[in-house]
This record gives sequence, structure tokens and C-alpha cells, in this order.
Amino acid sequence: MADVIHLNHHLLHVLNRFNIHLGFGDKTVETICNEHDIHLDFFLDIVNTFHDASYFPLQHLQKFKAGMLINYLQKTHAYYLNVKLPEIASYIERLNNDESILDAHKKLLADFFADYQHELIVHINKEEQRVYPYIKKLEKVLQNDSASREEMEELSNYSIHEYEAEHDDVEAKLFDLKNIIIKYLPPPKDSRLLNVILHELFELELDLNNHGHIEDLILVPIVDKMEAALRSQLTQFGQ
Amino acid sequence: MNNRVCILLLEPSFLVREGIKTLLSQIGQAFRIEEVDTVIDDLDKLLSRVKPEIAMINPALLAKKTIFNRDTDQQSNVIFIGLMHDEVSTNTIAKFDFCIHINDEKAEMNKVVEQAYRRLSDLDTDTESNNLSEREISILKLVALGNTNNEIAEKLFISVHTVMTHRKNITRKLGIKTVSGLTVYAILNKLIKVEELGGSANFVR
Repeated sequence: MADVIHLNHHLLHVLNRFNIHLGFGDKTVETICNEHDIHLDFFLDIVNTFHDASYFPLQHLQKFKAGMLINYLQKTHAYYLNVKLPEIASYIERLNNDESILDAHKKLLADFFADYQHELIVHINKEEQRVYPYIKKLEKVLQNDSASREEMEELSNYSIHEYEAEHDDVEAKLFDLKNIIIKYLPPPKDSRLLNVILHELFELELDLNNHGHIEDLILVPIVDKMEAALRSQLTQFGQ
Repeated sequence: MNNRVCILLLEPSFLVREGIKTLLSQIGQAFRIEEVDTVIDDLDKLLSRVKPEIAMINPALLAKKTIFNRDTDQQSNVIFIGLMHDEVSTNTIAKFDFCIHINDEKAEMNKVVEQAYRRLSDLDTDTESNNLSEREISILKLVALGNTNNEIAEKLFISVHTVMTHRKNITRKLGIKTVSGLTVYAILNKLIKVEELGGSANFVR
């Protein structure tokens, strides 16, 4: 496991979401996964998609339960909401101490970030309150042999693809925020704090991209399959 | 820049077309070429089909009724190189970014094509605010002040489609995609004043 972090230290956040913390000693990935009761293939796929955006986790797809993924995705949400966003906001607030930046510019930056943060939170809430519950219910109904026809019909009114997209504007805002700082904000006397803010924004972007990647490449195909199974069960009911 | 430049070659003579292709391949920039050897009535239609970055055109193949004024959306983003066989009016020459006469020396032709490529990569990496055209700046201001594409089109007496093309170019040049991002840019560059926004309600979209 130590080798994994030597290879890509960005993965530390990912490990934390699995409740794995530093001090691995020489334990292998497999040993640590067993200790934490983590599905090894699932762990490897998550880590691999994070490390290499072109990695496509095809082989193990069928083995994963949607609930497992949602659990992970919710932990990343919690990380954004409770750790990353407040951290960046506090850095931006600290810009107020820098008198070489115009007050109007500090306010512009703070407002823009607040605006971005608001949009990201709205997006996260939508997933937490509508998308994930839908997927969990779908999984439950499919596992339950005695699920009623009404339950199934109600579920079949929805499709995961209605929830997709919409990431666009949130992503674009983050992109803009980075460019405003990199290209257009007049340079302050000491740019260390802005460097830190930029670094954090890049990290957040990397993490968000991976989050979206996991949704698109792993979660959506699993849900697609469940939706197909639901439809075929309903047709059997019909006959 | 995309690795492969798309070039439209409008020229009736087989030999000239082959010569041009040889010239291009010696320059060493990867390209894809679309050859047309017939008279063109509707240049915009051809451009929207081929979507070239550079169009090398023998003006003899443009029919009289062809609109070639560089104002349409299809024509505004293409670099035009005239392929001249005979004497042409200065009026015609003025419409081209560059001109090659088929009797020119090889070195001269090379120079023109290389300039065209350089212009192309400038377009691609154009990021300084002063590289926004007057028109783009006026559109940027209106966007920042919260106008929709429709409203901008009405105010400037241009089509919505043209507004969208300008907005695409603004985004490409500035590296800023969202309306609120463009608003921040406009304020930072003193194109608009914060007071003009009418409260922060406009900013948070």
C-alpha cells in the first residue's frame, strides 16, 4: 500500500474514504482491504480510475453492488462539503489580509467562489436526495422476490439518464475560476496564498472529475442493467 | 492547434492542385485536404460542409453570385489564401488574407503558407484581452450586463447565430466559459462597472 501512495499521493484522499489511514507498514493492498472488509476488486477499480482517467473498469463490473458505489460516492460528497470547500473558502477569506489586492477584486473572487460553491452544493444535494435513493430502491426491489408490481411500475417511470448531464455548468465555473486567478487577476505582492488556492482548486477539480468518471463508467452501466432487469420482470408480470 | 489542419483547395487545374499538395507536405505540418475543381455558387455551404481552417481559393471558381465578403459566420473564422492565375482586381485581393500567384517562386509560396499557419496558431492561442475585436468587446459587455443572446442580437442588429459565434470566439480567446466568469473578467478589465450590474443579484446566476 505504501508503494501506491509513493506512486500517486493524490490517492490519500481516496484511501481516507475507505477509512484507510496512514501507517500502513509493509502491508499489501490485499491485507489492508481484508482488514477493513473492503472488496478488493472494487478498491482496485476505484484507485485505478483515479490514477488513470483512461482506465476502464470493465471486468469486475457485474460483481459490484450499486450500494457499494453509492457509499463511496457519498463519502466523496461529504469530503467536498465538510473539508474541501470550507478549506478553500477559508483561504479565500485570508486574502482579505493582503492589502496589495483591491477590495473590489477580493469581493469579486469571494462572490464567484460562493456562487460556484452554491451550485456544487445544489448538484450534490440533488444526487443525495433524488438519484441515490432511486438507485438504492431499485436495487432493493430487484433483490426482493416479493416486491409488488406497483412498486416496480413506479420505479420504471424513472431513468438514470434523466439525471445525467447538468455537471456542465458547475465544471465550467471551476474552470473559469482557475483562469481568472491564473490569467486575469492583477498579481498581488506575495502570490503564495493565491498559489495555495489554485493548487486546492486543481485538486478539487481532479477529484470531481474522478467522481463524475466513476458515476459515468461504473454506476450508470450498473443502473442501466438494473433498469433493464426491472423492465423484463415487468413484462413477465404482464404475460 | 489541432495536429491536422483542414485545408480546402478550390482550384480547377489538376497540376496546380498537385503542386500545392507537394508544397504543403514539404512544410511538415500535418494536414487534411479537400479538393474541389468546379465553380462554386454557395461558398458558405461548401465551408460548412468541409469546415476548413484554411481555404485556398482560385477566385475564378467563385461564381459571380457567390457571396464572398468575409462577414458570414462560415467565412469569418477561415483564413483565405487567394490562388491567382491572372491579374485580379485589388478589390478581390483585399478579400483574401494572403495571396499566392502561381508563377511565384517556391520560397515565396512557402512563406505565405507558413504565415497562414502562424496566423492559425495565433488564433488558437490568442488570449490577451486586446486581441478581442471591437465587436467582441461590445458583445462581452452586453453578456456581462446580463443580456441574453436574443437581446444582444436585437441591440446590435445582428443575427442570434452571429452572436453565438462571437460568444464562442470570446470564450476561446479568454478561456472563460460561464456568464458569471465573463462578468468577472469584464469588471477586472474595467469594461463594465460593478454598479452597472444593479446589485449582486445579477451576478449570482
